Amino acid sequence: MVPPEYYLVLSAAIFCIGLFGILTRRNALYFLMSAELMLNAAVINLVAFSFQWGNLTGQTFALFVIALAAAEVAVGIGIVLVLYRNFGDVDVLNAATMRW
Amino acid sequence: MILEALLAVTFAAALLVFAAPDEYAPKLAFGLSLLPIAGSLYLWSAFESGGNALTGGEIAFNTVVPWLEVAGYQLQWYVGLDGISLPLVILTTFLTSLAIVSAWTPIDERQSQFYGLMLLMEANLIGVFTALDFFLWFVFWEAVLVPMYFLIGIWGGPRRKYAAIKFFVYTNIASLVMFIGFMMLVIGLPVNSFGLPEITQSLAAGELGNFFWLPADTLALVAFAAMFIGFAVKVPVVPVHTWLPDAHVEAPTPVSVMLAGVLLKMGTYALLRFNYTMLPEQAQYFAVPIAIIAVVSVIYGAMLALAQEDLKRIVAYSSVSSMGYVLLGLVAFTEFGLGGATFQMIAHGLISGLMFMAVGVIYNATHTRLVGDMSGLADRMPIAVWILVAGAFAYMGLPLMAGFAGEFFIFVGSFGSTVLPYAPVFTAVAMFGIVIVAGYLLRAMQGTLFGPFNLETDYELDRAPIHDVAPLVALLAAIIVLGVVPSLFFDMIRDATVPLLELLGGGAP
Amino acid sequence: MVSASAYVPAIVLLPFVSFIVALFGRENLPKRGAYGGIAATAGSLLLSLWVLVSVRNGAAFQETYYTWATGAGAQDWTLTFGALIDPLSVLMLVIVSLVAMLVHIFSLGYMNDEDERDLPRYYAGLGLFTASMLGFVIADNLLMAFMFFELVGLCSYLLIGFHFREPGPPSAAKKAFLVTRFGDYFFLVGVVAVFTTFGTAAFAGAESFPALAEAALNGEATVWTPGGLEVSTWFTIVGLLILGGVIGKSAQFPLHTWLPDAMEGPTPVSALIHAATMVAAGVYLVARMYGFYVLSPTTMAIIAFVGGFTALFAATMGVVKRELKQVLAYSTISQYGYMMLALGSGGYVAAVFHLTTHAFFKALLFLGAGSVIIAMHHNEDMWDMGGLKDKLPVTYWTFLAGSLALAGIFPFAGFWSKDEILYEALIHGLDEPLILGAYVMGLLAVPVTAFYTFRMVFLTFHGEPRSSLARDPHPVRWNVKGPLSVLGILAVVTGGINLVPVQKVLNIEGIDYLHLWLDNHWGGIEGLSSHHYAELDPYSSQYLFGGEVPTVLAGAAASLGLAIGGLALAWVLYNVADPDEHTDKLGGLKELLYNNYYQDEFQVWVADNTQSVAGGADTFDQGVIDGVVNGVSSVSLLSSERIRRIQSGVVSNYALLLTLGLTTLLVVFGLIGGWF
Repeated sequence: MVPPEYYLVLSAAIFCIGLFGILTRRNALYFLMSAELMLNAAVINLVAFSFQWGNLTGQTFALFVIALAAAEVAVGIGIVLVLYRNFGDVDVLNAATMRW
Repeated sequence: MILEALLAVTFAAALLVFAAPDEYAPKLAFGLSLLPIAGSLYLWSAFESGGNALTGGEIAFNTVVPWLEVAGYQLQWYVGLDGISLPLVILTTFLTSLAIVSAWTPIDERQSQFYGLMLLMEANLIGVFTALDFFLWFVFWEAVLVPMYFLIGIWGGPRRKYAAIKFFVYTNIASLVMFIGFMMLVIGLPVNSFGLPEITQSLAAGELGNFFWLPADTLALVAFAAMFIGFAVKVPVVPVHTWLPDAHVEAPTPVSVMLAGVLLKMGTYALLRFNYTMLPEQAQYFAVPIAIIAVVSVIYGAMLALAQEDLKRIVAYSSVSSMGYVLLGLVAFTEFGLGGATFQMIAHGLISGLMFMAVGVIYNATHTRLVGDMSGLADRMPIAVWILVAGAFAYMGLPLMAGFAGEFFIFVGSFGSTVLPYAPVFTAVAMFGIVIVAGYLLRAMQGTLFGPFNLETDYELDRAPIHDVAPLVALLAAIIVLGVVPSLFFDMIRDATVPLLELLGGGAP
Repeated sequence: MVSASAYVPAIVLLPFVSFIVALFGRENLPKRGAYGGIAATAGSLLLSLWVLVSVRNGAAFQETYYTWATGAGAQDWTLTFGALIDPLSVLMLVIVSLVAMLVHIFSLGYMNDEDERDLPRYYAGLGLFTASMLGFVIADNLLMAFMFFELVGLCSYLLIGFHFREPGPPSAAKKAFLVTRFGDYFFLVGVVAVFTTFGTAAFAGAESFPALAEAALNGEATVWTPGGLEVSTWFTIVGLLILGGVIGKSAQFPLHTWLPDAMEGPTPVSALIHAATMVAAGVYLVARMYGFYVLSPTTMAIIAFVGGFTALFAATMGVVKRELKQVLAYSTISQYGYMMLALGSGGYVAAVFHLTTHAFFKALLFLGAGSVIIAMHHNEDMWDMGGLKDKLPVTYWTFLAGSLALAGIFPFAGFWSKDEILYEALIHGLDEPLILGAYVMGLLAVPVTAFYTFRMVFLTFHGEPRSSLARDPHPVRWNVKGPLSVLGILAVVTGGINLVPVQKVLNIEGIDYLHLWLDNHWGGIEGLSSHHYAELDPYSSQYLFGGEVPTVLAGAAASLGLAIGGLALAWVLYNVADPDEHTDKLGGLKELLYNNYYQDEFQVWVADNTQSVAGGADTFDQGVIDGVVNGVSSVSLLSSERIRRIQSGVVSNYALLLTLGLTTLLVVFGLIGGWF
């Protein structure tokens, strides 16, 4: 049996990659992908712990997260389209009107 | 149920006027505002004077309905009247109707909203003066600010936004301080409701416990101070008075009338109901500083009025001065002092209402309020001007007008106060206000009303229309009637204030 | 028969009704309000006379009509309105209603015939003025007296400022109200103090404040005093406080400055103010509560000294004035000074006597001056007059009678009353230096009075006309001559009501009617008799030349001699065809006198300084107090302006902040939780 630490390290690594992507990229599509990575990191955690404790709650949550991720992508792509339509680009720095 | 009916009718009137088209709103609002007057007169006729509502006296027209239970405290719909609140309810209904009539000339846009807000404010004011449950009272207390904010902010003068926000924020922060103080007090008490009579009687029975680490004595002092600060802003007294002149100068005439006539009385009413009824011993502890505030308000307010060139600012600062007398009467804590303070609230409500209205009538015609811009108006608008003169003399405390009665009761009450050290000195100094008030009002009148006619603005002066003058006449009549027969209100006020003295075990010598 | 006492309220209410009628009737009234006023004051006069007769028959009374307010508990004081009808008040009622009626009649000539505007307002003012004064006279307690005292002040404001379209009258009216208000402030403090001390403000009866004060001084009663003050000291203070109102209304130094300015009002109003209403109110008040004042020697001495000083001080200013009414104004101040001197030196009857005679001859002089002013088309400068004697015979002869009375020439009314005042001051002053000083000043004022009075008479009526107006004066009608004649007769004969010197010298009993009258000889109210006051006052009588009769004669000779001397000087200097302005020879002194010792400048200085203090307060208020308020608001606005910069709108920044925040939280929790 694979020890849980391995899952956790994998999850943390994927999460950090996603976070890194969000903090450094300017393209909205990369944002979406990075967000997906972070969500999946969380899913790995959930499944790993579920497996560890022999309890299905974690897996249920994982399914929820997958559904949620799908919905999020739908909304996210919508936003990206609107961004492109308004700014002719998908650079998130352009959409900075919601400030002081 | 009669009080609920009164409140319901007033709220319904407000809604009806909101919904009415602009061209019918003025007359409709006036017609509907007569209903609360009729209601308050009915209350007066059916009222039997019977002690103070909070200290265990009989509460007239009371209803208690449990409403919600929050954190172990029962919130109730609890309303009722006694000799202190009834005159203020009558003042509110009477003054609102007259203010509505006085709005006919100056308010020429968005009428239905304007009159709707006026009626809404009236309803909330009646609520403030009748509510006997703290939570209910606080809802009304805060709700009064909302219509006032819009009335100044929409229909006001050039700096209306500044004035409206200043007014709202200033009084709201004060309410917060007061709220915290009162809540500390309630938490220290073994009561399970916010009913003001229960709280008062529990305090009088000495049941105040600790508030966390604060001992009961200190808690009472802290609560007194917090509530005093909160209410003092509303009165207002020096040095927290500066929102008042700005609000008055920017507010349209009818709104000034309500602000000076009724809203300021909320502060002194609450001081009397909360600070001086619930915590008389703490009031005694703070007597000297509060008396100093009162005297400074009287003299300093009057001096400020002397320096003003804008008629409305003059009347606004003189309100600060007059409300200082009320505070002096409260702090003296004697039969005539407390009674006079309450009577002075009514008297000042009528007189300052009259002054603001009369200044408004002049402004409607001349479009200026600066003393230097006009002179000799008595030649062109005789009736309005002579009523203004009469109002000014009422303000100066001319005998047989309501102002003298209120001021004299306060003076005669406070001179021999045993609660206040150096009472004769404080009283005598405060009384000098009657000379300064004569100084600035006579100066302003000589400058604007008399002398050769001159007007800097390009307007044809005509006699004021009848609906501008009629409310002035009504107010003047009320002032004279109350001045000649003060016992109309003073008897019931006295019956309601005397029980407070028993809390301290006697009063004056 | 219905008793007169039931009609006492009507005495006050009749002029009040005429006020209401004139106020609402406006221009539709017959003679625009004059007839209503005349009828009302005539009614008051008749009722007053009836009450006078009934008091003569022993029907003096005190009655409470209306309870204004009642206290409770420790302050269970009742504030009431009532009437105190005794010899003093009924005498004053007759004087006031008589003068008021004559003034109303005279106004027909002075106002109606001259086609003045706004006459209903004028008559409304007169009606209210008369009603207030009558109400003040019958007042049976200090609070009621104060209320009507203030109403009198209001009416003076309205009437002095009657010609409001000109700049002068409103200003004079303001000054009159403000200066008297300053005095009334002390009065009001006094009223409040009386209530607090005694719990009552009644003038008469066993429970009245003078009676209680007397008992307290004898140790028979205890009263409240502030801070455990000595009872007698406190009574002195209270007496002086109330005296503040008296000094304001009766135009005594230093609050007399409003009175000469008040000449801006119509002349009949001046007559009313000076002779019977406003100015008389102050002196009457002292007489009314004399039982309280006599208890305090300090207050008495101050009253006497202020009176004596004012008498002399005002007389000197009268010497140089150019305007007819100005001279009369200063003579009024001076004459009320005499009354105060009398009251302060224990001459209660003498003061009331002078109040009575002065009311008649001063009303006469003012109405006479009014007649001259009509004739001169409202020019008041005496240097433009001259030679009016032949053109206005009735005015001249009556004015002359009034002037002789004012100057104190035997046997005119003023001689008797002024002589008695000086006599009382002398005999009581011989061992009281302060009173003696007041007496000397009063005596010195006698020749000055005679001089300025006859300077006025000669300049106005004698010599050659000095302007075209004076050569062709406007004629006056019956409504002017009638009141003048009535008052002229009274100015001559009123002295007969109190021939004390004659009684003493010739030893005839019973011709000192006023003494008997005020001594409750025919009945009155217990405790309000001159006899009672004399027992209480702090003075003893000393006589010169070994006896009463020589003292009487010497005193009378001194005052008469000085008066004749003053008259003679005026005769020499001014009774010529074309007199010079001899007072110019006084040089700088004339400037000083003409400018009233620069007291008006002083008051203007005070007013200006108050105004600048007020301006400073306003700056302070706007700058500092409101500055703090606005400062709090700017600090919050500014800091929020800075803080909201965090909200950059860039998603990446938000994400970074989120991450940093989360990390920080984790670290903090880790440190606290001891994970590391």
